[in-house]
Amino acid sequence: MQWITIFKKEILEDWRNYKWIWVPLVFIVICIMDPISTYYLPQILESVGGMPEGTVLEPPEVVPSQAIMMSLTELSMLGVLVIVAISMSVIAGERKSGVAELILVKPVSYFTYISAKWAEKLLLVFTSYLIGMLASWYYVDLLFGQITAGQFFSLFFFYLIWLIFVISLTIFYNTIVKVPGLVLTLTVVTIMAMSAINQIFSYRMPWFPNSISGHITKMLMENSVPNALWGAVSITIILSVGLLIASNFILKTKEMAD
Amino acid sequence: MAVIEVQNLIKAFKGDQVVKGLNFTLEKGKCVALLGPNGAGKTTTLRMLSGLLKPTDGSIHFEGATKGEDIRQYIGYLPQYPIFHPWMTGKEFLVYVGQLAHLSKKDAIEKADQLLEKVAIFEARNQRIGKYSGGMKQRLGIAQAMIHSPQLLMLDEPVSSLDPLGRREVLTLMEELKQQTTILFSTHILGDAEEISDDLLVMHHGEIVEAGSIESLRHKHQTAKFELAFQGDTTTYQERLKQLECIQETFLEKGEIHVIVEDIETARREILKEAIATDWPLVKFELSRTTLEDLFMKVVKN
Amino acid sequence: MGEILNSLPIVAPLILVQFLLMIIALISLIKAEQTNGPKAMWAVIVIFIGFIGPILFFIIGRRQY
Repeated sequence: MQWITIFKKEILEDWRNYKWIWVPLVFIVICIMDPISTYYLPQILESVGGMPEGTVLEPPEVVPSQAIMMSLTELSMLGVLVIVAISMSVIAGERKSGVAELILVKPVSYFTYISAKWAEKLLLVFTSYLIGMLASWYYVDLLFGQITAGQFFSLFFFYLIWLIFVISLTIFYNTIVKVPGLVLTLTVVTIMAMSAINQIFSYRMPWFPNSISGHITKMLMENSVPNALWGAVSITIILSVGLLIASNFILKTKEMAD
Repeated sequence: MAVIEVQNLIKAFKGDQVVKGLNFTLEKGKCVALLGPNGAGKTTTLRMLSGLLKPTDGSIHFEGATKGEDIRQYIGYLPQYPIFHPWMTGKEFLVYVGQLAHLSKKDAIEKADQLLEKVAIFEARNQRIGKYSGGMKQRLGIAQAMIHSPQLLMLDEPVSSLDPLGRREVLTLMEELKQQTTILFSTHILGDAEEISDDLLVMHHGEIVEAGSIESLRHKHQTAKFELAFQGDTTTYQERLKQLECIQETFLEKGEIHVIVEDIETARREILKEAIATDWPLVKFELSRTTLEDLFMKVVKN
Repeated sequence: MGEILNSLPIVAPLILVQFLLMIIALISLIKAEQTNGPKAMWAVIVIFIGFIGPILFFIIGRRQY
């Protein structure tokens, strides 16, 4: 009951501050901008000029799987940044402003408080990501060639696990510090550090969370799910759950009045 | 019957004790003022009772609560500066926190309407809280603390940030709430405490220095005292006053003799008899009482 | 020229979404009682900085609390 109450309150809040409108729109742009601009690159270059007379510009040789992976590449940068930014004050903001002092003296468990907020952000991100990727699928199909439903949905759900991890990490930092800007910085720095580690040790740690999109590329080319992807996804889920449990523990030991 | 029993409650921040071992019980149905100057440790104490701060040591026992039970459901708490979600309406906020306190949505709505009426913001119930005035927010704060009909209502400096009008409104409201629940509120103003509370807990430097009902404290600290002034050499009369049996203590202050007496009536008779008999050049003979104000000032100055 | 016209049905939705984003940011800007920084500055940012402008406004410009 309390869980639903907080969940609904979060939905109402994100509706009133326009997040339920702008985040899906931003995700559509993020997901379709690269496939479209890649397709029209020759025309864009032509209109800009500077090409020798008689040069024939063909659309670059991009296979459908490469085209749809462009969406994931953009999501990994801009998309992740937007996700962190919309979640950076979900708990930190309430603690900083002082509302938490009114909420947490009510008999509500910290885990309910954390998980309901986590779930609402997940629903918002899921919806936006779904709309964005469906748009991307449509354009890739139109401009580059077929992506099967099987390919699309396995790509969609495997990458979703990574986004869940990003939300969980942001929530985790929300319980550690109460300045939203600092939550953003810490989360982004952590993800960048993880990405660096992933690049250096990718051969030794095929199950590392950041390797998910690499494995998805391989999955689309070979049309089968690599074992390493299952491994990476499992590790990422475990880490996300761990982060939520840790958040609960941290918030419990924190003194709300500080 | 006690509602809450506090034993040896201690709070230290970085080794610095802000609250130094409090022991007190709150009687059911009483309105108790936690009185003390700023920095006495009042807010820290209330925050520990509400569960916002963890005591460094000591125990808080809530009557009727089993060990390890979440006592937050029995408590309503209003912080000194309540902050709300400015994008919510007053009614939405009350229904929200009501549901968080285990009320069903229907009950929460009903209770919210009742309270909005009681705290006189019913008209503004569908306005965003961001537009509320300071007094309205304070009253909404009391309403949110009352939403689950708590057995103990704790208010941290409920009137000190308000203008005289808002102050009066909140005090009247507290007078009404006294009938329904036990109230513990902190204040640094003796007048507010005297006006609505039954009992006083006087706090200073993290300790409770006086506790009891207003009446008993008034009585305890109300020693009778005469102030006498004379023409000429005052000190000789002081010696002679000391010899009177009814007088406990004398001292000089600003050229006047202050005499503390046991019983006002006998003392007056004796002193005046002596004065007439030996023809004292009295220019002032005045009865004065030490009050709670004197007690409070004494506490604050130490 | 013909190619550009051919491409219009494809590119139009992208432009439309970006335009929508800008309009919503502007509505939110007008309705907001307070913003971090002058409203005029945010109006310029929202209108002129591609689709990043509205995002910046929603994240930084709008006061959350």
